[in-house]
Amino acid sequence: MDELSPKIEFKNVSKSFDHNSNAEKILEDISFDIYADEFVCILGPSGSGKSTVLGLIAGFIKATSGKISFNSKPIKRPDSSRTLVFQDYALFPWLNIIDNVGFGLTTKTKNKNEIRGKALEYLNLVGLSAYKDHSISQLSGGMKQRVAIARALCAEPEVLLLDEPFGALDQQTRENMQIEILRLWGKSKKTVVFVTHSVDEALKLADRIILIGGKPGKLLYNTNISISRPRDLKDSELNKIRSQIIDRLAQPEFSMGSGI
Amino acid sequence: MKLALIRIGFYAILFVVWYLIVKVGEIPNYILPAPIDVFESFYFGFLKGGYLIGIFSSLVRVLIGYFLALIIGVVTGILLARYYLLDITFGKSILALQSIPSVAWVPLALLWFGITDKAVIFIIILEAVLPVALSTKNAMKNIPLNLIRAAQTLGSKGLHLYQNVILKAMIPELVTGLRLSWAFAWRALIAGELFISGAGIGQTLELGRSLADMAQVISMITTIGVIGFLTENIFFGSIEKNVRLAWGLDAQK
Repeated sequence: MDELSPKIEFKNVSKSFDHNSNAEKILEDISFDIYADEFVCILGPSGSGKSTVLGLIAGFIKATSGKISFNSKPIKRPDSSRTLVFQDYALFPWLNIIDNVGFGLTTKTKNKNEIRGKALEYLNLVGLSAYKDHSISQLSGGMKQRVAIARALCAEPEVLLLDEPFGALDQQTRENMQIEILRLWGKSKKTVVFVTHSVDEALKLADRIILIGGKPGKLLYNTNISISRPRDLKDSELNKIRSQIIDRLAQPEFSMGSGI
Repeated sequence: MKLALIRIGFYAILFVVWYLIVKVGEIPNYILPAPIDVFESFYFGFLKGGYLIGIFSSLVRVLIGYFLALIIGVVTGILLARYYLLDITFGKSILALQSIPSVAWVPLALLWFGITDKAVIFIIILEAVLPVALSTKNAMKNIPLNLIRAAQTLGSKGLHLYQNVILKAMIPELVTGLRLSWAFAWRALIAGELFISGAGIGQTLELGRSLADMAQVISMITTIGVIGFLTENIFFGSIEKNVRLAWGLDAQK
Protein backbone atom coordinates (compact mmCIF):
# COMPACT_ATOMS: atom_id res chain seq x y z
CA MET A 1 0.00 0.00 0.00
CA ASP A 2 1.06 3.53 -0.70
CA GLU A 3 2.54 4.84 2.55
CA LEU A 4 1.59 8.40 1.78
CA SER A 5 -2.10 7.99 1.05
CA PRO A 6 -4.23 8.20 4.19
CA LYS A 7 -6.01 5.16 5.62
CA ILE A 8 -9.13 7.20 6.31
CA GLU A 9 -9.93 10.48 4.66
CA PHE A 10 -12.68 13.00 5.55
CA LYS A 11 -13.21 15.72 2.98
CA ASN A 12 -15.67 18.53 3.81
CA VAL A 13 -18.01 16.13 5.56
CA SER A 14 -21.33 17.38 6.94
CA LYS A 15 -24.08 15.37 8.57
CA SER A 16 -27.67 16.27 9.42
CA PHE A 17 -30.33 14.11 11.02
CA ASP A 18 -34.02 14.57 10.30
CA HIS A 19 -36.23 15.12 13.33
CA ASN A 20 -39.88 15.49 12.35
CA SER A 21 -39.07 17.42 9.17
CA ASN A 22 -36.51 19.56 11.03
CA ALA A 23 -33.00 18.83 9.85
CA GLU A 24 -30.62 19.00 12.80
CA LYS A 25 -27.05 19.64 11.79
CA ILE A 26 -24.58 17.49 13.72
CA LEU A 27 -21.30 17.94 11.85
CA GLU A 28 -20.22 20.77 9.60
CA ASP A 29 -17.45 20.73 7.04
CA ILE A 30 -15.07 18.32 8.73
CA SER A 31 -11.84 17.42 6.97
CA PHE A 32 -8.97 15.29 8.30
CA ASP A 33 -6.77 12.35 7.40
CA ILE A 34 -5.87 9.32 9.47
CA TYR A 35 -2.81 7.30 8.48
CA ALA A 36 -2.07 3.61 8.91
CA ASP A 37 -0.92 2.50 12.40
CA GLU A 38 -1.79 5.86 13.93
CA PHE A 39 -3.45 6.09 17.34
CA VAL A 40 -5.89 8.95 16.85
CA CYS A 41 -8.13 10.37 19.55
CA ILE A 42 -11.26 12.22 18.52
CA LEU A 43 -11.86 14.56 21.41
CA GLY A 44 -14.91 16.67 22.08
CA PRO A 45 -17.62 17.54 24.60
CA SER A 46 -20.87 15.55 24.75
CA GLY A 47 -23.16 16.31 21.83
CA SER A 48 -20.39 17.57 19.57
CA GLY A 49 -20.97 14.75 17.10
CA LYS A 50 -17.76 12.82 17.77
CA SER A 51 -19.59 9.50 17.95
CA THR A 52 -21.21 10.36 14.62
CA VAL A 53 -17.70 10.60 13.16
CA LEU A 54 -17.10 7.04 14.31
CA GLY A 55 -20.44 5.88 12.86
CA LEU A 56 -19.45 7.45 9.55
CA ILE A 57 -16.12 5.61 9.54
CA ALA A 58 -17.81 2.33 10.56
CA GLY A 59 -20.28 2.83 7.74
CA PHE A 60 -23.68 2.60 9.44
CA ILE A 61 -24.18 6.37 9.17
CA LYS A 62 -24.14 8.10 5.78
CA ALA A 63 -22.72 11.57 5.30
CA THR A 64 -25.14 14.27 4.10
CA SER A 65 -22.41 15.86 2.04
CA GLY A 66 -18.67 15.52 1.55
CA LYS A 67 -16.48 12.50 0.94
CA ILE A 68 -15.28 9.78 3.29
CA SER A 69 -12.81 7.22 2.00
CA PHE A 70 -11.12 4.17 3.43
CA ASN A 71 -8.03 2.94 1.59
CA SER A 72 -8.95 5.56 -1.05
CA LYS A 73 -12.35 3.94 -1.68
CA PRO A 74 -15.69 5.42 -0.52
CA ILE A 75 -17.23 3.76 2.55
CA LYS A 76 -20.57 2.17 1.65
CA ARG A 77 -21.53 -0.13 4.50
CA PRO A 78 -20.10 -1.61 7.71
CA ASP A 79 -17.69 -4.49 7.33
CA SER A 80 -15.09 -6.28 9.41
CA SER A 81 -12.18 -4.19 8.15
CA ARG A 82 -13.37 -1.55 10.62
CA THR A 83 -14.66 -2.98 13.90
CA LEU A 84 -16.21 -0.92 16.66
CA VAL A 85 -16.07 -1.16 20.46
CA PHE A 86 -19.05 0.46 22.18
CA GLN A 87 -19.26 2.18 25.54
CA ASP A 88 -22.09 -0.17 26.56
CA TYR A 89 -20.02 -3.17 25.32
CA ALA A 90 -22.85 -4.46 23.05
CA LEU A 91 -21.86 -8.06 23.74
CA PHE A 92 -24.30 -10.79 22.67
CA PRO A 93 -25.90 -11.97 25.93
CA TRP A 94 -26.96 -15.35 24.50
CA LEU A 95 -23.38 -16.31 23.68
CA ASN A 96 -20.70 -17.23 26.20
CA ILE A 97 -17.45 -15.32 26.24
CA ILE A 98 -15.44 -17.32 23.73
CA ASP A 99 -18.34 -17.39 21.26
CA ASN A 100 -18.70 -13.63 21.57
CA VAL A 101 -15.03 -13.20 20.71
CA GLY A 102 -15.28 -15.59 17.78
CA PHE A 103 -18.46 -14.04 16.37
CA GLY A 104 -16.76 -12.11 13.59
CA LEU A 105 -15.09 -15.26 12.29
CA THR A 106 -18.43 -17.07 11.97
CA THR A 107 -19.20 -14.78 9.04
CA LYS A 108 -16.08 -16.04 7.26
CA THR A 109 -15.70 -19.73 8.05
CA LYS A 110 -17.71 -22.68 9.33
CA ASN A 111 -14.68 -24.41 10.83
CA LYS A 112 -15.55 -24.44 14.55
CA ASN A 113 -12.08 -25.49 15.70
CA GLU A 114 -10.43 -22.72 13.78
CA ILE A 115 -12.86 -20.16 15.24
CA ARG A 116 -12.38 -21.40 18.79
CA GLY A 117 -8.61 -21.47 18.42
CA LYS A 118 -8.46 -17.90 17.14
CA ALA A 119 -10.93 -16.67 19.73
CA LEU A 120 -8.90 -18.26 22.52
CA GLU A 121 -5.79 -16.58 21.20
CA TYR A 122 -7.40 -13.14 21.44
CA LEU A 123 -9.00 -13.95 24.78
CA ASN A 124 -5.50 -14.80 25.94
CA LEU A 125 -4.28 -11.47 24.67
CA VAL A 126 -6.69 -9.61 26.96
CA GLY A 127 -5.94 -12.01 29.82
CA LEU A 128 -9.37 -13.62 30.07
CA SER A 129 -8.85 -17.13 28.69
CA ALA A 130 -9.74 -18.60 32.09
CA TYR A 131 -13.26 -17.19 31.69
CA LYS A 132 -13.88 -18.55 28.20
CA ASP A 133 -17.02 -20.54 29.08
CA HIS A 134 -18.54 -17.97 31.43
CA SER A 135 -21.66 -16.05 30.51
CA ILE A 136 -21.53 -12.31 29.92
CA SER A 137 -23.63 -11.46 32.96
CA GLN A 138 -20.95 -12.92 35.24
CA LEU A 139 -18.34 -10.34 34.24
CA SER A 140 -17.49 -6.91 35.64
CA GLY A 141 -17.59 -3.82 33.42
CA GLY A 142 -13.85 -3.80 32.81
CA MET A 143 -13.85 -7.49 31.89
CA LYS A 144 -16.79 -6.99 29.54
CA GLN A 145 -14.90 -4.24 27.76
CA ARG A 146 -11.84 -6.50 27.44
CA VAL A 147 -14.07 -9.14 25.83
CA ALA A 148 -15.51 -6.51 23.50
CA ILE A 149 -12.00 -5.42 22.49
CA ALA A 150 -10.95 -9.05 21.96
CA ARG A 151 -14.07 -9.57 19.84
CA ALA A 152 -13.27 -6.51 17.73
CA LEU A 153 -9.63 -7.60 17.25
CA CYS A 154 -10.51 -11.23 16.51
CA ALA A 155 -12.37 -10.17 13.36
CA GLU A 156 -8.92 -9.00 12.18
CA PRO A 157 -9.80 -5.45 11.21
CA GLU A 158 -7.45 -2.90 9.70
CA VAL A 159 -8.94 -0.17 11.85
CA LEU A 160 -10.14 -0.47 15.43
CA LEU A 161 -12.80 2.07 16.39
CA LEU A 162 -13.54 2.76 20.06
CA ASP A 163 -16.52 4.88 21.14
CA GLU A 164 -15.81 6.20 24.65
CA PRO A 165 -14.89 2.64 25.58
CA PHE A 166 -13.92 3.36 29.17
CA GLY A 167 -16.62 5.92 29.91
CA ALA A 168 -18.67 3.54 32.06
CA LEU A 169 -15.72 2.28 34.11
CA ASP A 170 -14.43 3.44 37.48
CA GLN A 171 -11.23 5.51 37.60
CA GLN A 172 -8.87 2.67 38.59
CA THR A 173 -10.22 0.27 35.95
CA ARG A 174 -10.14 3.05 33.43
CA GLU A 175 -6.45 3.69 33.99
CA ASN A 176 -5.64 -0.01 33.74
CA MET A 177 -7.61 -0.24 30.51
CA GLN A 178 -5.72 2.72 29.05
CA ILE A 179 -2.43 0.89 29.63
CA GLU A 180 -4.03 -2.24 28.21
CA ILE A 181 -5.21 -0.61 24.99
CA LEU A 182 -1.75 0.87 24.37
CA ARG A 183 -0.22 -2.55 24.91
CA LEU A 184 -2.68 -4.18 22.49
CA TRP A 185 -2.11 -1.45 19.93
CA GLY A 186 1.66 -1.95 20.23
CA LYS A 187 1.25 -5.68 19.71
CA SER A 188 -1.27 -5.75 16.88
CA LYS A 189 -0.21 -2.56 15.07
CA LYS A 190 -3.60 -1.46 13.91
CA THR A 191 -4.93 1.95 13.12
CA VAL A 192 -6.89 3.03 16.19
CA VAL A 193 -9.56 5.74 16.31
CA PHE A 194 -10.52 6.40 19.90
CA VAL A 195 -13.39 8.72 20.80
CA THR A 196 -13.33 10.35 24.21
CA HIS A 197 -14.50 13.49 26.01
CA SER A 198 -11.62 13.34 28.49
CA VAL A 199 -8.75 15.66 27.56
CA ASP A 200 -6.33 13.78 29.82
CA GLU A 201 -7.26 10.43 28.31
CA ALA A 202 -6.57 11.80 24.84
CA LEU A 203 -3.26 13.34 25.97
CA LYS A 204 -2.18 10.04 27.51
CA LEU A 205 -3.04 7.87 24.52
CA ALA A 206 -2.95 9.69 21.23
CA ASP A 207 -0.38 10.12 18.48
CA ARG A 208 -2.75 12.75 17.25
CA ILE A 209 -5.74 14.57 18.68
CA ILE A 210 -8.60 15.70 16.49
CA LEU A 211 -10.73 18.15 18.45
CA ILE A 212 -14.38 18.57 17.52
CA GLY A 213 -16.65 21.08 19.23
CA GLY A 214 -19.55 23.46 18.90
CA LYS A 215 -23.05 22.90 17.61
CA PRO A 216 -22.97 21.71 14.89
CA GLY A 217 -19.60 20.08 15.50
CA LYS A 218 -16.70 21.61 13.66
CA LEU A 219 -13.06 20.68 13.54
CA LEU A 220 -11.38 22.93 16.09
CA TYR A 221 -7.88 21.55 16.31
CA ASN A 222 -5.77 18.78 14.82
CA THR A 223 -2.40 18.21 16.46
CA ASN A 224 0.32 15.57 16.67
CA ILE A 225 1.77 14.49 19.99
CA SER A 226 5.22 13.02 19.57
CA ILE A 227 6.01 12.39 23.24
CA SER A 228 6.98 8.83 24.07
CA ARG A 229 4.75 6.67 26.26
CA PRO A 230 4.06 6.13 29.12
CA ARG A 231 3.38 9.81 29.45
CA ASP A 232 3.44 12.03 32.50
CA LEU A 233 0.43 14.32 32.37
CA LYS A 234 2.48 17.05 34.13
CA ASP A 235 4.88 17.15 31.20
CA SER A 236 5.29 20.77 30.02
CA GLU A 237 4.61 20.01 26.36
CA LEU A 238 1.41 18.14 27.23
CA ASN A 239 0.38 21.08 29.40
CA LYS A 240 0.82 23.36 26.43
CA ILE A 241 -1.38 21.17 24.25
CA ARG A 242 -3.94 20.90 27.02
CA SER A 243 -4.27 24.64 27.40
CA GLN A 244 -4.55 25.06 23.63
CA ILE A 245 -7.39 22.51 23.60
CA ILE A 246 -9.18 24.21 26.47
CA ASP A 247 -8.78 27.61 24.82
CA ARG A 248 -10.39 26.35 21.66
CA LEU A 249 -13.24 24.67 23.48
CA ALA A 250 -13.96 27.84 25.43
CA GLN A 251 -14.40 30.01 22.33
CA PRO A 252 -15.04 27.78 19.40
CA GLU A 253 -16.44 30.49 17.13
CA PHE A 254 -13.30 32.66 17.38
CA SER A 255 -10.78 29.92 16.93
CA MET A 256 -12.19 28.48 13.73
CA GLY A 257 -9.44 27.82 11.30
CA SER A 258 -6.59 29.13 13.43
CA GLY A 259 -4.98 25.86 14.44
CA ILE A 260 -5.95 23.71 11.51
CA MET B 1 -41.72 -30.56 54.26
CA LYS B 2 -43.57 -28.36 56.69
CA LEU B 3 -45.04 -26.49 53.73
CA ALA B 4 -46.29 -29.76 52.24
CA LEU B 5 -47.95 -30.73 55.51
CA ILE B 6 -49.71 -27.38 55.73
CA ARG B 7 -50.99 -27.77 52.19
CA ILE B 8 -52.22 -31.31 52.75
CA GLY B 9 -53.94 -30.11 55.91
CA PHE B 10 -55.61 -27.30 53.99
CA TYR B 11 -57.08 -29.64 51.39
CA ALA B 12 -58.14 -32.16 54.01
CA ILE B 13 -60.06 -29.44 55.85
CA LEU B 14 -61.54 -28.20 52.57
CA PHE B 15 -62.88 -31.66 51.71
CA VAL B 16 -64.26 -32.21 55.20
CA VAL B 17 -66.08 -28.86 55.18
CA TRP B 18 -67.36 -29.58 51.67
CA TYR B 19 -68.62 -33.00 52.81
CA LEU B 20 -70.29 -31.57 55.90
CA ILE B 21 -72.04 -28.81 53.94
CA VAL B 22 -73.48 -31.35 51.51
CA LYS B 23 -74.55 -33.81 54.23
CA VAL B 24 -75.84 -31.39 56.87
CA GLY B 25 -77.50 -29.09 54.32
CA GLU B 26 -78.99 -32.08 52.48
CA ILE B 27 -78.01 -30.50 49.19
CA PRO B 28 -79.17 -32.49 46.14
CA ASN B 29 -76.54 -34.21 44.05
CA TYR B 30 -77.16 -32.12 40.92
CA ILE B 31 -76.48 -28.89 42.83
CA LEU B 32 -73.40 -29.98 44.76
CA PRO B 33 -72.19 -33.59 44.95
CA ALA B 34 -70.07 -34.81 47.86
CA PRO B 35 -66.29 -34.99 47.30
CA ILE B 36 -66.45 -38.77 47.02
CA ASP B 37 -68.88 -38.52 44.06
CA VAL B 38 -66.46 -36.27 42.24
CA PHE B 39 -63.59 -38.69 42.90
CA GLU B 40 -65.77 -41.49 41.61
CA SER B 41 -66.54 -39.52 38.47
CA PHE B 42 -62.81 -38.97 37.94
CA TYR B 43 -62.07 -42.62 38.58
CA PHE B 44 -64.62 -44.06 36.18
CA GLY B 45 -64.13 -41.31 33.64
CA PHE B 46 -60.43 -42.04 33.34
CA LEU B 47 -60.77 -45.82 33.78
CA LYS B 48 -63.36 -46.22 31.07
CA GLY B 49 -61.53 -43.83 28.79
CA GLY B 50 -64.26 -41.27 28.21
CA TYR B 51 -62.31 -38.45 29.81
CA LEU B 52 -59.00 -39.45 28.26
CA ILE B 53 -60.44 -39.41 24.74
CA GLY B 54 -61.97 -36.02 25.46
CA ILE B 55 -58.70 -34.59 26.77
CA PHE B 56 -56.75 -36.03 23.87
CA SER B 57 -59.09 -34.59 21.21
CA SER B 58 -59.02 -31.23 22.94
CA LEU B 59 -55.22 -31.18 23.06
CA VAL B 60 -55.02 -32.01 19.35
CA ARG B 61 -57.39 -29.15 18.56
CA VAL B 62 -55.61 -26.61 20.72
CA LEU B 63 -52.18 -27.57 19.39
CA ILE B 64 -53.28 -27.26 15.76
CA GLY B 65 -54.85 -23.88 16.45
CA TYR B 66 -51.89 -22.72 18.51
CA PHE B 67 -49.21 -23.61 15.97
CA LEU B 68 -51.16 -22.04 13.11
CA ALA B 69 -51.54 -18.94 15.29
CA LEU B 70 -47.78 -18.89 15.92
CA ILE B 71 -46.93 -18.92 12.24
CA ILE B 72 -49.51 -16.26 11.38
CA GLY B 73 -48.59 -14.22 14.45
CA VAL B 74 -44.83 -14.16 13.86
CA VAL B 75 -45.26 -13.19 10.21
CA THR B 76 -47.81 -10.49 11.12
CA GLY B 77 -45.52 -9.18 13.85
CA ILE B 78 -42.54 -8.91 11.53
CA LEU B 79 -44.67 -7.10 8.93
CA LEU B 80 -46.00 -4.70 11.58
CA ALA B 81 -42.49 -3.93 12.79
CA ARG B 82 -41.20 -3.32 9.29
CA TYR B 83 -44.05 -1.40 7.67
CA TYR B 84 -45.05 1.75 9.48
CA LEU B 85 -48.22 2.24 7.44
CA LEU B 86 -49.47 -1.22 8.39
CA ASP B 87 -48.70 -0.57 12.04
CA ILE B 88 -50.64 2.70 12.31
CA THR B 89 -53.69 1.17 10.57
CA PHE B 90 -54.03 -2.56 11.19
CA GLY B 91 -51.63 -2.47 14.14
CA LYS B 92 -53.97 -0.18 16.08
CA SER B 93 -57.06 -2.32 15.44
CA ILE B 94 -55.25 -5.34 16.88
CA LEU B 95 -55.53 -3.75 20.31
CA ALA B 96 -59.31 -3.46 19.85
CA LEU B 97 -59.49 -7.06 18.64
CA GLN B 98 -57.70 -8.17 21.77
CA SER B 99 -60.46 -6.84 23.98
CA ILE B 100 -63.05 -9.14 22.37
CA PRO B 101 -63.50 -12.28 24.49
CA SER B 102 -63.31 -15.54 22.57
CA VAL B 103 -66.97 -16.49 23.14
CA ALA B 104 -68.01 -13.43 21.17
CA TRP B 105 -66.55 -15.08 18.06
CA VAL B 106 -68.52 -18.31 18.54
CA PRO B 107 -71.68 -17.31 16.64
CA LEU B 108 -69.60 -16.08 13.72
CA ALA B 109 -67.45 -19.20 13.68
CA LEU B 110 -70.50 -21.49 13.84
CA LEU B 111 -72.14 -19.75 10.88
CA TRP B 112 -68.95 -19.93 8.84
CA PHE B 113 -67.78 -23.42 9.70
CA GLY B 114 -70.77 -25.20 11.29
CA ILE B 115 -70.51 -27.15 14.54
CA THR B 116 -67.15 -28.63 13.57
CA ASP B 117 -63.53 -28.72 14.66
CA LYS B 118 -62.79 -25.97 12.20
CA ALA B 119 -64.95 -23.52 14.12
CA VAL B 120 -63.01 -24.16 17.34
CA ILE B 121 -59.63 -23.95 15.63
CA PHE B 122 -60.73 -20.69 14.03
CA ILE B 123 -61.61 -19.22 17.42
CA ILE B 124 -58.32 -20.43 18.90
CA ILE B 125 -56.34 -18.82 16.09
CA LEU B 126 -58.21 -15.52 16.46
CA GLU B 127 -57.41 -15.42 20.16
CA ALA B 128 -53.87 -16.75 20.10
CA VAL B 129 -52.55 -14.83 17.11
CA LEU B 130 -52.70 -11.40 18.72
CA PRO B 131 -50.28 -11.82 21.63
CA VAL B 132 -47.75 -13.49 19.34
CA ALA B 133 -48.04 -10.75 16.73
CA LEU B 134 -47.70 -8.00 19.33
CA SER B 135 -44.75 -9.58 21.11
CA THR B 136 -42.99 -10.29 17.81
CA LYS B 137 -43.47 -6.68 16.79
CA ASN B 138 -42.22 -5.34 20.12
CA ALA B 139 -39.34 -7.80 20.29
CA MET B 140 -38.21 -6.69 16.88
CA LYS B 141 -38.48 -3.00 17.70
CA ASN B 142 -36.73 -3.40 21.04
CA ILE B 143 -33.54 -5.01 19.76
CA PRO B 144 -30.73 -2.76 21.01
CA LEU B 145 -29.42 -0.87 17.98
CA ASN B 146 -25.84 -1.30 19.15
CA LEU B 147 -26.12 -5.09 19.04
CA ILE B 148 -27.03 -4.93 15.36
CA ARG B 149 -24.34 -2.35 14.68
CA ALA B 150 -21.73 -4.40 16.52
CA ALA B 151 -22.67 -7.44 14.45
CA GLN B 152 -22.51 -5.42 11.24
CA THR B 153 -19.06 -4.07 11.96
CA LEU B 154 -17.96 -7.64 12.70
CA GLY B 155 -18.99 -8.54 9.17
CA SER B 156 -22.47 -9.97 9.75
CA LYS B 157 -25.18 -9.15 7.23
CA GLY B 158 -28.23 -10.59 5.47
CA LEU B 159 -29.23 -14.08 6.56
CA HIS B 160 -26.30 -14.39 8.99
CA LEU B 161 -27.44 -11.23 10.77
CA TYR B 162 -31.06 -12.46 10.96
CA GLN B 163 -30.19 -15.94 12.21
CA ASN B 164 -27.44 -15.06 14.63
CA VAL B 165 -28.44 -11.68 16.01
CA ILE B 166 -31.94 -10.39 15.22
CA LEU B 167 -33.76 -13.66 15.92
CA LYS B 168 -31.67 -14.44 19.00
CA ALA B 169 -32.17 -10.99 20.46
CA MET B 170 -35.95 -11.38 20.04
CA ILE B 171 -36.29 -14.68 21.86
CA PRO B 172 -36.86 -13.56 25.49
CA GLU B 173 -39.73 -11.24 24.57
CA LEU B 174 -41.05 -13.76 22.07
CA VAL B 175 -41.22 -16.51 24.72
CA THR B 176 -43.35 -14.28 26.93
CA GLY B 177 -45.68 -13.77 23.98
CA LEU B 178 -45.82 -17.51 23.29
CA ARG B 179 -46.84 -18.18 26.87
CA LEU B 180 -49.56 -15.54 26.87
CA SER B 181 -50.77 -16.81 23.53
CA TRP B 182 -51.03 -20.37 24.89
CA ALA B 183 -53.10 -19.13 27.82
CA PHE B 184 -55.47 -17.40 25.36
CA ALA B 185 -55.62 -20.50 23.15
CA TRP B 186 -56.54 -22.70 26.11
CA ARG B 187 -59.42 -20.44 27.15
CA ALA B 188 -60.66 -20.13 23.58
CA LEU B 189 -60.59 -23.91 23.19
CA ILE B 190 -62.96 -24.50 26.09
CA ALA B 191 -65.29 -21.68 25.03
CA GLY B 192 -65.48 -23.03 21.50
CA GLU B 193 -65.89 -26.67 22.47
CA LEU B 194 -69.01 -25.98 24.51
CA PHE B 195 -70.85 -25.38 21.25
CA ILE B 196 -69.58 -28.03 18.88
CA SER B 197 -70.19 -31.75 18.54
CA GLY B 198 -67.52 -34.43 18.93
CA ALA B 199 -65.23 -35.50 21.74
CA GLY B 200 -63.50 -32.88 23.86
CA ILE B 201 -63.22 -31.43 27.33
CA GLY B 202 -65.78 -28.75 26.56
CA GLN B 203 -68.29 -31.32 25.26
CA THR B 204 -67.73 -33.60 28.25
CA LEU B 205 -68.48 -30.61 30.44
CA GLU B 206 -71.58 -29.74 28.44
CA LEU B 207 -72.72 -33.38 28.54
CA GLY B 208 -72.45 -33.27 32.34
CA ARG B 209 -74.75 -30.27 32.36
CA SER B 210 -77.40 -31.86 30.12
CA LEU B 211 -77.40 -35.04 32.22
CA ALA B 212 -77.49 -32.98 35.44
CA ASP B 213 -74.31 -34.85 36.42
CA MET B 214 -72.67 -32.23 38.56
CA ALA B 215 -69.84 -34.58 39.57
CA GLN B 216 -68.80 -34.77 35.92
CA VAL B 217 -69.07 -30.99 35.57
CA ILE B 218 -66.84 -30.42 38.57
CA SER B 219 -64.28 -33.03 37.52
CA MET B 220 -64.03 -31.45 34.04
CA ILE B 221 -63.65 -27.94 35.47
CA THR B 222 -60.87 -29.31 37.68
CA THR B 223 -59.23 -30.99 34.69
CA ILE B 224 -59.28 -27.71 32.73
CA GLY B 225 -57.65 -25.93 35.65
CA VAL B 226 -54.98 -28.57 36.20
CA ILE B 227 -53.96 -28.87 32.53
CA GLY B 228 -54.00 -25.08 32.17
CA PHE B 229 -51.84 -24.66 35.25
CA LEU B 230 -49.33 -27.33 34.23
CA THR B 231 -48.88 -25.99 30.71
CA GLU B 232 -48.98 -22.25 31.42
CA ASN B 233 -46.96 -22.16 34.60
CA ILE B 234 -44.86 -25.29 34.80
CA PHE B 235 -44.03 -25.84 31.11
CA PHE B 236 -43.92 -22.30 29.71
CA GLY B 237 -42.85 -20.87 33.05
CA SER B 238 -39.70 -22.98 33.13
CA ILE B 239 -38.88 -22.22 29.49
CA GLU B 240 -39.25 -18.53 30.19
CA LYS B 241 -37.08 -18.77 33.29
CA ASN B 242 -34.34 -20.68 31.49
CA VAL B 243 -34.31 -18.27 28.57
CA ARG B 244 -34.08 -15.27 30.88
CA LEU B 245 -31.20 -16.93 32.68
CA ALA B 246 -29.36 -17.83 29.48
CA TRP B 247 -29.83 -14.30 28.13
CA GLY B 248 -28.51 -12.83 31.37
CA LEU B 249 -31.76 -10.98 32.10
CA ASP B 250 -32.10 -12.50 35.56
CA ALA B 251 -29.16 -12.85 37.90
CA GLN B 252 -27.74 -16.35 38.25
CA LYS B 253 -28.15 -17.92 41.65
